[in-house]
Amino acid sequence: MEFIKLKQVSKEYSRKKVLEDVNLVIEEGDILGVVGESGSGKTTLLSLIAGFIEPTEGEVTYFSRIHQQERNLNRNIHQVKKHIGFTPQHNSFYPKLTVKENLLHFGRLYGLKDKTLLDNITGLLSLVRLMEHQNKLAGHLSGGMQKRLDISCSLIHKPKILVLDEPTADLDPLLRKDILNLLQEANKQGITIVLASHDLENVEDICNKVAFVHQGKVHTQGLIDEIKKPFQSDSFTISVRGKEKERIYRYLKSTNNPQIIDLGDSLVVYPDNIQQTISGLLKIIDQERLNLHDLNFRNVPLKNIFEKITGRN
Amino acid sequence: MNSLWLLTQKNLKVLLRAKGSALVVILAPLLIILILGFIYNNSDQYGIKVGIYSSSSNGEVEAFVNLLEEDNFIIQSYPPSPAGIDSCIKDIKSGLVHTCIDLPESLNLEGNSPAEVTFHVDPTRINLVWMIQETVGSKFNLKSQQISQELAQGIIDVLSETKDQINEKKSLLETIKQHSSAASSSTASIKESLSNLDLSSPAVSYANDPTAKINSAITESLESITEAQQKLENLTGSDKDEVTTLLGRAEDDLQAASKFVSGNASGSLDSFLIQLKMGLDQAVIKLKTTSEVVSSANSNFDSLTGTLSDSVAAMNDLDNSLNEIISQLESVQTTDAKTISSPLSIRINKVSEESTYLNYLFPALLILVVMFSSLMLGTTLVMMEKNSIAFLRNFFLPLRKISFIASIYLTNLILIVIEIVIILLISLFFLPGNLSQFPALALVLFLASSIFTFLGMGLGYLFTSEETGSLASISLGSIFLFLSGLILPLEGMSGPVRQFLMFNPFIIAENLVREIFLFNTPLGDLWIDILLLAGYSLVLFLIILVAESVLHKNLVKRFRKHYHHKHHETKKTV
Repeated sequence: MEFIKLKQVSKEYSRKKVLEDVNLVIEEGDILGVVGESGSGKTTLLSLIAGFIEPTEGEVTYFSRIHQQERNLNRNIHQVKKHIGFTPQHNSFYPKLTVKENLLHFGRLYGLKDKTLLDNITGLLSLVRLMEHQNKLAGHLSGGMQKRLDISCSLIHKPKILVLDEPTADLDPLLRKDILNLLQEANKQGITIVLASHDLENVEDICNKVAFVHQGKVHTQGLIDEIKKPFQSDSFTISVRGKEKERIYRYLKSTNNPQIIDLGDSLVVYPDNIQQTISGLLKIIDQERLNLHDLNFRNVPLKNIFEKITGRN
Repeated sequence: MNSLWLLTQKNLKVLLRAKGSALVVILAPLLIILILGFIYNNSDQYGIKVGIYSSSSNGEVEAFVNLLEEDNFIIQSYPPSPAGIDSCIKDIKSGLVHTCIDLPESLNLEGNSPAEVTFHVDPTRINLVWMIQETVGSKFNLKSQQISQELAQGIIDVLSETKDQINEKKSLLETIKQHSSAASSSTASIKESLSNLDLSSPAVSYANDPTAKINSAITESLESITEAQQKLENLTGSDKDEVTTLLGRAEDDLQAASKFVSGNASGSLDSFLIQLKMGLDQAVIKLKTTSEVVSSANSNFDSLTGTLSDSVAAMNDLDNSLNEIISQLESVQTTDAKTISSPLSIRINKVSEESTYLNYLFPALLILVVMFSSLMLGTTLVMMEKNSIAFLRNFFLPLRKISFIASIYLTNLILIVIEIVIILLISLFFLPGNLSQFPALALVLFLASSIFTFLGMGLGYLFTSEETGSLASISLGSIFLFLSGLILPLEGMSGPVRQFLMFNPFIIAENLVREIFLFNTPLGDLWIDILLLAGYSLVLFLIILVAESVLHKNLVKRFRKHYHHKHHETKKTV
């Protein structure tokens, strides 16, 4: 179900267009990764999604279950805020309050009843593994714990959508993994997640959808698998050893002389006509009874796709 | 040394590039100086409102009023009835006039008591009291000097007149002198004439006064005869002899007496008479001479009498003149040197009866504490919230802006209330008996605190760094303080500026606290000022709301800047 839609949205700051003619759809249950370079307009896009700023042109809408219709997000921001969680890049809690006090504070401001709030806190603390540290001052927590607390603060009211700006920036790989797992857990609990990141591997790991932002425009958006499809058919990897590898290498070279990268136990092949090359290759393997260990159409990294799409190499 | 200069350069750059800091650090002092300089650049005007009361209205009072008006004192006259001075004192308490001058019926002195002028002043405005004493007092000194001059001139006039009279009557003394001289020479002449008179008695010896002898002899004869007669009665033989003897003896004696009377011998009656005649002759001559001298003296005495009469007349004239001079001198009523030198005595009467300076200073101190605490707290709390890392999250809370503003205001108010309660409790120790005024005081302090809190919050929203905000709040507080009359009297400013500054919330709040705390004025009489403070609070609250909206736009900018800055740094690191 479409949850938030950006319709031909443009945003200007001091007459300078930061975003131009953006159309974006966020559906319930999505984990949308907003990918782009620094200054491409990611934060502005997130701010528009979260209702933090209003578009200069176009409209941001949300689907109201009560009204069973799309409604302008900015005009109804007060109602929408209850359903949005926002985690900026830097931590956003009170360092002088304890973990629990922070959660209680924000939860109460969201109007949660004490029982619900305490249940939410218990659930969140166990989810983010801060139960033991609930009475520690937030400022005294480690970087990873602080990030988890920050996300907890955004989740305390059980929002329908969680918007995160660079949630894994400045974190070491282990902590990054930790945070990504946390987001996946949250998503499993029915929270739609939108996150901006320039770490495409992370996006690829947890997001089902991606939007490439470049120079103020959304170039591509959609399911990652769908986006990858056209890029996946231009190469394959074949795992073979010894003489068999030499035979296959010679055969491949005898065809249209494709680009072949020797990785030792495997060869990465970039043929001109992949179907013709593979069918020819399978014939030789069958005829000569060669021992083929593995044949994979290569998983093209999202980074490469992004670079291709945005024209960067 | 180089590093020191580099660090200094860096500090200056950082300071100047933070626009708010630069503005406050550099421009604020200049602005303060400019404002104060503009306001106090005034030498000839006094905004002192002087209430004049005199139990009788006369030309002297008007002359004095004119003297004050020459220096642009604003004069408010009160009717010459007992209610007039009470009304004037009430106006001091209300701040409508700064001093009441209770003038005596007349400024002209009668007698040696100086005319007493009473200044009624509000001792809570200590600096104003001094100013009034200085400025209005100088006018009185001028008047006093004028009266003193008049008194001295009166004395000098009388003395001058006396001198003229004395000069004029000096010829009388000359006349008296001449007359006296003439009388003296006449007297000398008489004296000489009299002293030349021979009044010695003639050299007649009366030692051998024959009369006595005659008398004695005759007496003895008579006795003898008597005795003889007695004997003759009882006559005996012997007795006859004896009578004869006695009679013979009487005869002798009588003969002797006869000789003495008629004889030529010395000591006889005859010679005696001759001598006596001669003596009488001499006496006649002398008496003649004496008669002549007396006659001469008599004529001299006539002349002397005339001279003395003239002298008496001159002296009478002189006596009159002297009486006149005395009465003239007596017409000078003020003769006490102290009164002549200070004919007007000034008495300062405090309209408040408090005994210590703490009472007078307490309203100002209270508002001062409230003002600086509220300004600083307001700024700090907004800064704390604004610069808190949690600030951005607050935007996503389903709360209205007013809630955040109200929460900061309420926090501030709680802290100020605690502070005020402590101050008031301490004040009870020093100034007991003011407990009943606390509810009214609390209302005023609540309003004052609200105004200054909102102002502090406004500064907090306006400035980005906490240091700059604090500096700005201190600067603003200082301006309020400077323009409150607590340090420099407002009355030294020009009229329009002074009128404008009457709207200074510090002044309004301080006046209210003074009215309530010192004069026990009921709140009903102060409703205009209270409404004004409430109005300020409301307007400032609305301004804060607008400021918060502007801040939100600024916040988006800051958020973007912060984000890109961070992002840029991260990329650089990678």
